[in-house]
Amino acid sequence: MITWGSPIWLYLWLAGMAGGAFFAAFLVDRLMGGTQKALLRIATYVGVPFAIIGLILLIADLGMPIRFWRLLAEFDVVSAMSMGTWILFVWVAAAVIMIILWNIDRFIPGSISIDRARPAVDLITGALSWIAFVFAALLITYTGVLLASSNQPLWAATILVPSLFVASAISTGLAVVIITALVGRSQAISRRMIARLSEADAIVIIIEMVILIGFAIWLGVSAMGGATEGLKLLTIGTLAPAFWVGVVLLALLIPLGLELSNWGKEIKGRAVWLAVAVPSVCVLLGGLILRAIIVAGGQM
Amino acid sequence: MTEKAALVDITKCMGCRACQVACKAWNDNSGETDTRNTGSYENPPHLSASTWTRIEFYEIGRNGGVQWYFRKHQCMHCTNASCEAVCPTGAISHMGEFVVIDQNICIGCGYCALACPFDAVHRDPPRGTARKCWFCLDRVSNDYEPACVKTCPPGAIEFGERDELLTAAHARVDSLRNNGHPNARLYGENELGGLHWLYIIDGPPSEFGLPESPQLATNALVGQWVGGLITAGVLAAIPFWLLFRRKRELEESSRAGGEQ
Repeated sequence: MITWGSPIWLYLWLAGMAGGAFFAAFLVDRLMGGTQKALLRIATYVGVPFAIIGLILLIADLGMPIRFWRLLAEFDVVSAMSMGTWILFVWVAAAVIMIILWNIDRFIPGSISIDRARPAVDLITGALSWIAFVFAALLITYTGVLLASSNQPLWAATILVPSLFVASAISTGLAVVIITALVGRSQAISRRMIARLSEADAIVIIIEMVILIGFAIWLGVSAMGGATEGLKLLTIGTLAPAFWVGVVLLALLIPLGLELSNWGKEIKGRAVWLAVAVPSVCVLLGGLILRAIIVAGGQM
Repeated sequence: MTEKAALVDITKCMGCRACQVACKAWNDNSGETDTRNTGSYENPPHLSASTWTRIEFYEIGRNGGVQWYFRKHQCMHCTNASCEAVCPTGAISHMGEFVVIDQNICIGCGYCALACPFDAVHRDPPRGTARKCWFCLDRVSNDYEPACVKTCPPGAIEFGERDELLTAAHARVDSLRNNGHPNARLYGENELGGLHWLYIIDGPPSEFGLPESPQLATNALVGQWVGGLITAGVLAAIPFWLLFRRKRELEESSRAGGEQ
């Protein structure tokens, strides 16, 4: 009996992408000495609507959507769903305030100058970006903990579902930033930076593959009843085509191959689409299929 | 109030399913619309938000023949209840030893259904909330036995003080073991801190659709959070620090070297 259907795996994919994009963009900006604010802005502008759409899907999936407010009336550290609601709420709130502060000039009449307040605004934005970074890390972890903290063998027989979803969230987050930068023809983000983001994604994918292999082995040897059946369902059962084509090829091997083949090269002109955009689209679709088969497979 | 429980003796159950009917009648639960034959006399095919108890049929090979057993399935009213632990709104709680869902607070997220190790909680799409056996709390709190216990013709279900039931169950298990049922055992005494539905079974739990060692859904919660966050930390260090910080430092030092 399927309890959590398509709204939930779409929600987990969108929330993961939102958190993963912010996590990656914040790190790049900070590690590059604060020179990549454009990346952080792309991740925030894309992440907030993704998170809000995900939240709408989550509410729509409730049996009693009108009682959604009760999730915020309770704070229960043991319930992953309660914690996740609060994490999502804090992350969205921080990101929305950051967007407002970045655009504060537009909200204030032209006759009023905020130049004197600018240092304070920048300080608040910087503090909020740190808060949003911590909550982005919690958000991408929560999407996996939500499933793992259950009694469905595919989700609960190992503790690797959160790790798998974290790696996938960062990979899909990088992909969505890359695609948005390319499609938006952002001048503030150089081709060199996009190529480097693609290289970072290749390493994330390699780590994701290691986690996926560990997850499969752990399922295979787990003593929990139904764990090996879950592994068979993914690898040789009804979900096998989606697993091998959608996850192994689309999310992992194809983008990894394309990204490694362009490693360190200068990407010029239209070549960027094959070298960077195609693997990113593969990662996005593969990330969606990964969540769909894990969520559905856990209930079969 | 002392701790109450129910004891099911699988070796006495004859599969009449009167308990199912009594449960539906007392709790005013509707019949199932999905009554297709799935190759078994079991009916309805599974527990649901409006079928809180049902008899499962098991054919087990023993001594060259087949032994037919029936096991009553419903919420076990665990002491350490996974449904209660994961519920994000506090709608599920213990009332004494029994686990109940407050229908006025439940938001119908379905998390309890996925956390239950016994598949005993289900979402009810028409009502929008999760529902399950509530141990006929309205009867029990007025010193009546649950509807299913009251109706059981062969007396396969007993209701009473948990301690007394455990003593009786151990004696019955010993008796069975000495009379041609060497694998008889008691299930539910210690599982999940102690269940409030106890079973005398004639073989390993897995033969009767019961998990050998059921786990609280939140048992590994800390490990799951820590594992996920460590992965995030590793991913922050390896691709991002190496590719962005380290390269930047190398580029800056080579530029400085070139200028000299």
